[in-house]
Amino acid sequence: MQAFLDGCAKSVLEGDADAAEKLAREALDKKYPPFEVIEMGFVKGIKEVGRLWEDGTLFLPELVMGAEAMKRAMAVLHPALAKSGARPKSLGHVVIGTIEGDIHDIGKTLVATMLSANGFEITDLGADVPVVKFVDEVEARGAGCIAVSALLTTTMSGQRRVVDELKKRSLKGKVKVMVGGAPCSDEWAREIGADGYAGDAVAAVSLAQSLMGSRD
Amino acid sequence: MQKHDFLETIKRRVVLFDGGMGSMLIAAGLTQREIPEAWVLSKSEKIGEVHAAYLEAGAEIITTATFGASRLKLGASEAGKSLDAARVNEKGVEVARKALERSGKRERFVAGDIGPTGLFFPPVGALKADEARAAFREQAKALAAGGVDLFIIETMYDLREAVEALRAVKEVSNLPAVVTLTFDRKPRGFFTMMGDTTDKAVETLLKEGASVIGANCTLQSGDMIDLAEEFRFLTDAPLAFQPNAGRPVMEHGVAVYKQRPREFAADAVKIVAAGANAVGGCCGTTPEFIREVHATLIHGK
Repeated sequence: MQAFLDGCAKSVLEGDADAAEKLAREALDKKYPPFEVIEMGFVKGIKEVGRLWEDGTLFLPELVMGAEAMKRAMAVLHPALAKSGARPKSLGHVVIGTIEGDIHDIGKTLVATMLSANGFEITDLGADVPVVKFVDEVEARGAGCIAVSALLTTTMSGQRRVVDELKKRSLKGKVKVMVGGAPCSDEWAREIGADGYAGDAVAAVSLAQSLMGSRD
Repeated sequence: MQKHDFLETIKRRVVLFDGGMGSMLIAAGLTQREIPEAWVLSKSEKIGEVHAAYLEAGAEIITTATFGASRLKLGASEAGKSLDAARVNEKGVEVARKALERSGKRERFVAGDIGPTGLFFPPVGALKADEARAAFREQAKALAAGGVDLFIIETMYDLREAVEALRAVKEVSNLPAVVTLTFDRKPRGFFTMMGDTTDKAVETLLKEGASVIGANCTLQSGDMIDLAEEFRFLTDAPLAFQPNAGRPVMEHGVAVYKQRPREFAADAVKIVAAGANAVGGCCGTTPEFIREVHATLIHGK
């Protein structure tokens, strides 16, 4: 079993989506507990990818491929997980997008991919998203968190307006807001009343976990 | 007109590039709903004023405001969608040439600016090599038709995309091409976002026929000194570096580049000492920075 789990982790670490999917199916055939396969196998792989990315050993292509492998394995295991009665570790629903006036997509997409690979439900609104749309979507979907990306010093004020819109609708506090993007910082998050700042996709996962962990 | 002697000049002595364009235009009233490329057509006098300010500060190469004027990049934004890429590029050169003529300065050059498409090759995105090449070819053709003296392909985060842009330039023109990637400093050294190393970048770009290679953006001037040393260790080819004015910090909700022109200029001299044949500034730099670099390069200190 341990060798099998190591293989699962390795498939994600190597960004081999086909292998990851095949291992996930094999786990079902062999009736391995899906929760364990995810937590002790694939998740270990994606965590290692994240660690190696943060220390500059892996780069964007490897990160994306690792997350893709993770997603493919999860797609196979998720239905079985729900059936098994083990509580799927869905940490909550995040509505994510790049703020209006800003077309920078990649950082946001990366965060969305990593959040999804780590078990969050994601609604990705894309780039150039109006302030109101973030809050409309979070209300419509009953999501617990908004992640707003801004890559330009000229568009980051939109992040503040997202927080203000939540206040206006009395959702502040109930819905968490996390911000990211080159010009942002912890200080900026505090100043605008957001719940946190993440400097990269890996940090965004930790932040989302700590912000939404208490909801379950 | 001195059309072809940019390469001779850069082999003979250090050449000074200009500084940032975007923040100058924001100061001149560019709103977040607009892009510099649109101003090339609608408010070309504002673009011309920035060129003039850099020439007056001592810049010898002025860079057209066409960084984001490839069809792929323009097509990705609301503000750029309706713009005719070829027209923006031709007009961008015309504006720079006019500013140069008006300045009356000699031995100055207009560099046709080509930036990344903003799209990504697999596995990150779905950009295809021939698609990128075609967009760059169209942009390079228009820049050449407008009458640039050289091309600068810059801020490339993927070596593959830089190569497509360089090949496109070489398909339509014999003019020199400066190619600078953007590197970040990691614990294990300098890498592009895609993980390209300096030695791979140097080898590939020279093999593909770049006249001048180097780096711009992302790094502040202090880190750029080390990167310049690394490049010089790897090659004898002409090198160009254009760092940012430090890292932006937030002040009262506004991003500010805190580095002062004098400090930047002191580092620019060290970048030259490390082996650069050309220096200039990227994000956060202004004509004051270029003026200071110019003075420091001449007078030392």
